[in-house]
Amino acid sequence: MKLLWEWMKSRLALAEIWNALFSRHVPEAEGLVGWLYTLGSASLFVFFIQVITGSLLAMNYVPSPDHAYDSIRFINEQVIFGKWIRALHHWGATFMVVVVSLHMLRVYFMGSYKYPREATWIVGVILFLLVMGFSFTGYLLPWDQKSYWATMVGANIASQTPAIGSYIAKILKGGDEMGAVTLTRFYAIHTLVLPGLILVAILIHLFLVVWHGISEPPQKNKGSDKKAGA
Amino acid sequence: MEEKDLNNKISRRSFLTYVIVSLGGLMGAILTGLGGGYFLSPIWRKKEDSWIDLGLVKDFTEGEPLKINFTVRKRDAWSTIESKSSAWIITANQKDFIAFDPKCTHLGCPYRWSVEKRQFLCPCHTATFSVDGEVVSGPPPRALDRYPTKVVGGHLLILPQVVGKGKEV
Amino acid sequence: MNWHQDYIERYKKLKEQGKSFFPYAVLKDTIMAFFILALLCWFAYHFGAALEEPADPTDSNYNPRPEWYFLFLFQALKLFPGNLESVAAVLLPGLGVTFLFLLPFLDTGPERNFLKRPFFTLLGVGTLAGIGYLTYQGTVSPLTNPIIEKDPLVFAGQRLYVSLNCSYCHKIGGKGGSVGPELDKVASGETEEWLEKHFREPQSVSPGSTMPKLNLLDDEIKVLVAFIKSLGGGEGFTEEAPKVFAENCAMCHKIGKEGAEVGPDLSLIGTARDKNYMRKYIEDPSKLNPSSSMPGYKGQLTDVQIEDLARYLSAQKGD
Repeated sequence: MKLLWEWMKSRLALAEIWNALFSRHVPEAEGLVGWLYTLGSASLFVFFIQVITGSLLAMNYVPSPDHAYDSIRFINEQVIFGKWIRALHHWGATFMVVVVSLHMLRVYFMGSYKYPREATWIVGVILFLLVMGFSFTGYLLPWDQKSYWATMVGANIASQTPAIGSYIAKILKGGDEMGAVTLTRFYAIHTLVLPGLILVAILIHLFLVVWHGISEPPQKNKGSDKKAGA
Repeated sequence: MEEKDLNNKISRRSFLTYVIVSLGGLMGAILTGLGGGYFLSPIWRKKEDSWIDLGLVKDFTEGEPLKINFTVRKRDAWSTIESKSSAWIITANQKDFIAFDPKCTHLGCPYRWSVEKRQFLCPCHTATFSVDGEVVSGPPPRALDRYPTKVVGGHLLILPQVVGKGKEV
Repeated sequence: MNWHQDYIERYKKLKEQGKSFFPYAVLKDTIMAFFILALLCWFAYHFGAALEEPADPTDSNYNPRPEWYFLFLFQALKLFPGNLESVAAVLLPGLGVTFLFLLPFLDTGPERNFLKRPFFTLLGVGTLAGIGYLTYQGTVSPLTNPIIEKDPLVFAGQRLYVSLNCSYCHKIGGKGGSVGPELDKVASGETEEWLEKHFREPQSVSPGSTMPKLNLLDDEIKVLVAFIKSLGGGEGFTEEAPKVFAENCAMCHKIGKEGAEVGPDLSLIGTARDKNYMRKYIEDPSKLNPSSSMPGYKGQLTDVQIEDLARYLSAQKGD
């Protein structure tokens, strides 16, 4: 057992990874400000919850207008904890938007996007857009009145784009009308395309956070540049 | 003094680690519990038996096997499937019934009843079965499969699914 | 940009002075995660995940309303009428996203404290206030059409009615075949027991019926019975009902030529609403239509009177 552990430690470079990720020192952030720094990892945590609950829901869901609604009802009524998993995924989506937005506001008002963390911020904006994409595509999947009409409104808004609007709407809906193709498209985007993209973006984001080091809380009294000279 | 500080630091560190691990474990347990229950739910799902009403018992003539066609409506998760099926029904006294699966136990061909020979004949490999389903001749490995039957309120009900093999029912 | 070099050196120092990420920051992260999971579970338990009726592309009465975090955008559309709508729909969000992408290149100074960069702080606070205001406006803006609540059993029954092609032989509301009886006129008056027996074995309760035995599953029979029972619009109200109406409703509502026009004219209400809907509405209008100013009559009238009235109203089909 010990031998196996040692082998894994050396071959998987566990100690080095641990040192780089967890034993790294981070600038002091006291009190309430310290808690603001947890919003990033909280987003990651909610993302994990969404991955778990989403994978489970996909096991019993059919992206077809004939069966989507009934398969959701099946999850609600027949599957053990089905109601729970669906409710967690539903509210997890809302939490995701809230936590990610708060995280973004923290970075915005603390000016953490400044040198040398510009790229971290840009990847963060991409992550924010991906989250919005998730919530827009996921909303349609239950195929109930609310999801159908909200998506219809969304597609109509997209079609307002000058010049290319009607093409955007067609690409979104997979045709002129909302229907079976819209549902399969949204499902594929929600469960295959976006997860792939967001995973890559999360990895880059995390790498950059560790590489540049988490930003220190802004100085209160003196200009930060002056303090550096002191 | 310095050593004491260091010791304090270490015990504080291990205490924090303990808190992290136990909170993490609790969260893991909650998520695994819910997710695990969901994933394993097929284990606890009750099987829905759909007994088919084949009509009044007194309409079945004694001694002569009768092929009954019926429709089965079956719930398959979120969809309902309707399928046509049939069974051979035999009764000696209009009280005890036997229902045979209409497929030969050899390769699943539909067999028929021969009134002259008083045997079931399978056309595929010329197998024959006696009136109580036993193999008389030919390649079938076992007697005809049976469906569970019951009589409720003067109606004959069958459950069109083979439970066990041959005469086990 | 010589402050870049300074910053890197200063950050290095701060980092060395700081504590190890594990366990100090990780502890806070873990507690935060736990708090979020607990809150999430509470939301999931308390509110669940709603599931409305299945999508109906032909429904023109539905109030489309996006998820609350898109509500500000939805509301913003109302501020830009006509041709300008594309400004709110595309241009503003597009500009917002572009701004976010370019932010690190617009605000390039060394100042990090929000008090020292008033422009970006005000911009941020202003945007937040705007989004907050629009979201609030969106939440309180009344729905154009009242929410119609349907009994899920009745609704499931209606869907089964369609998928079993019952209308090949039966009429409801004058639509369908004429082989079997008109269900809203005949069958809805039968007892639930009778209907259940009839669905199991039609000939057992109505001998000589040509209706086929459908081998329906138990829960299918349950929802069909609920559906058929709900059809009973206009059947069996007593002579009391018009009197109850005259005494309690006519000061606001009109049927035919009788009554006032404070509230909607109810002469044709039976073509739009069934009995159960009317009963719920009379009991407590605010549940079905939050913007209604009609008082609830539960407690004012007896349950029998309300049922009677609901039957009477659902019979108002203009003939």
